[in-house]
Amino acid sequence: MILFKLAWRNLVGAGLRTWLNVLVLAMAFILMIWGKGVVDGMAYQLNDAMTNIEFGNGGQIWHSEYDPMDPLTIEDSHAPYPKEINALIATHKAAPILIRQGTIYPDGRMQTIKVKGIHPEQEVMDLPTAQIVMGATGLTPALIGQKMADKSGLEVGDLLTVRWRDARGTFDAREVEIVHIMNTVVQTVDRSQIWIPLDHLQEMSKLQGEATVVALDEPFTGTPASAAWIYRDLDFLMKDINDMIKSKNFGGNVMYGILFAIALLAIFDTQVLAIFRRKKEMGTLMALGLTRAKVIGLFTIEGSLHGIIAFVAGFILGSPLFYLMTTKGYAMPGDMDDYGMALGNVIYGRYGPDLLIGTTLLLFLTVVLVSYLPTRKISKLTPTDALRGK
Amino acid sequence: MDKSTLIKTQGLVKRYPVGGGHFTALKGIDLNVNSGEFVGLVGPSGSGKTTLLNIIGALDAPSEGTVEVLGKDLATLSGAQAAKHRSAFMGFIFQTYNLLPVYTAFENVEFPLLLLGKSAEERKQLVMQALDWVGIADKADSRPKMLSGGESQRVAIARAMVKQPKLVLADEPTANLDAKNSHHILETMVKLNKELGTTFVFATHDEKVISYLHRKVTLVDGSIQSDETS
Repeated sequence: MILFKLAWRNLVGAGLRTWLNVLVLAMAFILMIWGKGVVDGMAYQLNDAMTNIEFGNGGQIWHSEYDPMDPLTIEDSHAPYPKEINALIATHKAAPILIRQGTIYPDGRMQTIKVKGIHPEQEVMDLPTAQIVMGATGLTPALIGQKMADKSGLEVGDLLTVRWRDARGTFDAREVEIVHIMNTVVQTVDRSQIWIPLDHLQEMSKLQGEATVVALDEPFTGTPASAAWIYRDLDFLMKDINDMIKSKNFGGNVMYGILFAIALLAIFDTQVLAIFRRKKEMGTLMALGLTRAKVIGLFTIEGSLHGIIAFVAGFILGSPLFYLMTTKGYAMPGDMDDYGMALGNVIYGRYGPDLLIGTTLLLFLTVVLVSYLPTRKISKLTPTDALRGK
Repeated sequence: MDKSTLIKTQGLVKRYPVGGGHFTALKGIDLNVNSGEFVGLVGPSGSGKTTLLNIIGALDAPSEGTVEVLGKDLATLSGAQAAKHRSAFMGFIFQTYNLLPVYTAFENVEFPLLLLGKSAEERKQLVMQALDWVGIADKADSRPKMLSGGESQRVAIARAMVKQPKLVLADEPTANLDAKNSHHILETMVKLNKELGTTFVFATHDEKVISYLHRKVTLVDGSIQSDETS
């Protein structure tokens, strides 16, 4: 207890030096949490958006020929729904999607697109498919994304000629009506595609009861009975995203490391340099009757108290920032989804207990260690050497 | 060891490694200091007086020989026991005062009492009493940087005396002080020696200090050259 009292007295007595060090440490602490929270939030948003909007929480079952990176595979990527999931489709736990290649002619310019058929009642993907309702024109209703609308100059109510090839290879065309334009951060459900009711596309392409992929609300256990279908779990579907998150995490960790180094410098200045400067003080303490162990304890507690005060100050000063980051978010310059990141214009920080406690513990242990090690080294000096400040 | 003998050294040798060999700072010191003495280890720089003072204060260990202080053979004490011994029975006064810079005068003087576990009330009373002894009670709230050299050394004396130790070891206590302050401080120490019976051992080559000593042990090149009592 006496060591705490003395350490506290030392801190208070050091005045401005203490508070400057505490401030630097607190700022580094805030920035470390802030930066990591932004990266975590970004990763969460990316993951959440891709899972909820593009894939479905349970992954997807793909036609064995289907390769989203190869448009030439689309023609043959269709088969009757896998029997195992009929019950899931009926209860909206699975959403079959038929994908066909097509062409549209907005403003007379030919544009190759994917035509995607989906049940308007589906609940697996977070898409406003319920809006795909036939209007007064009686034409096939179509849903498009904002990016697609911007690029093609389309608006709600516009009629659009779509040309496609049916299962027999015959070209056909019809007009569809744009009934809704959705705002989404996921480009892979927006750019160069239109969404129409599944039964319309099946009828148009003569592929009744068939689909290219089936999005699932829950993971599929086992293997589809038909060799025409392959289950793709979220790990597979999210691989590119996860790789990107990893690279972002690496960047985030570098930033975390730099801030950690700044924090270390603050502690280093406080403790290592101060302790070396305070050799004579240590010698005096020993001469006055403080044991070597208590000298080490005193300086270690003193350093640790710096850390504790800095953490308290950090939480007090940082809480409004973390709150704002969580509720209002951080506005990104420009549309990040233009760069292929499903983030939208605002990133929301994520400041979970693991981040807060982890960072606090990491810094605190470092403070204790950086306080302890140099003191231990110096306290090995004889009191007479310490008194001489050598 | 006689009951009144406070310090007893026998065949005390201290060697320091220098380069490939060693330098002998003390060459077989035999010295007895009795309780209540006001004694000085005098001699030129490098004569070994500070080394001897440090060994008596259990701040350093001899290479050979024995040291008994207050009946304890210092060689048998662990580091922690030596610290406790210093805390309980000894006070130190340094040439450069060695006040703890972030503490006030009061807190500096209070420090040894904190180590002894005295209550807050007792500490306050003893600290103010010690500051009174050295005539600096009005500076209790001042930090060392706000004090003059003489005032700082008086705080250091108060710190050494506050626990009323049996032995005070003073290493060149007036070296950084002017004549007026030196005399004031020495008079204070003489008064404390008389009133409290505290034994004072000085390491000094200051003539002003020497003039106050009751006993003068002269060291030359690590050996006792003379031991005179006035």
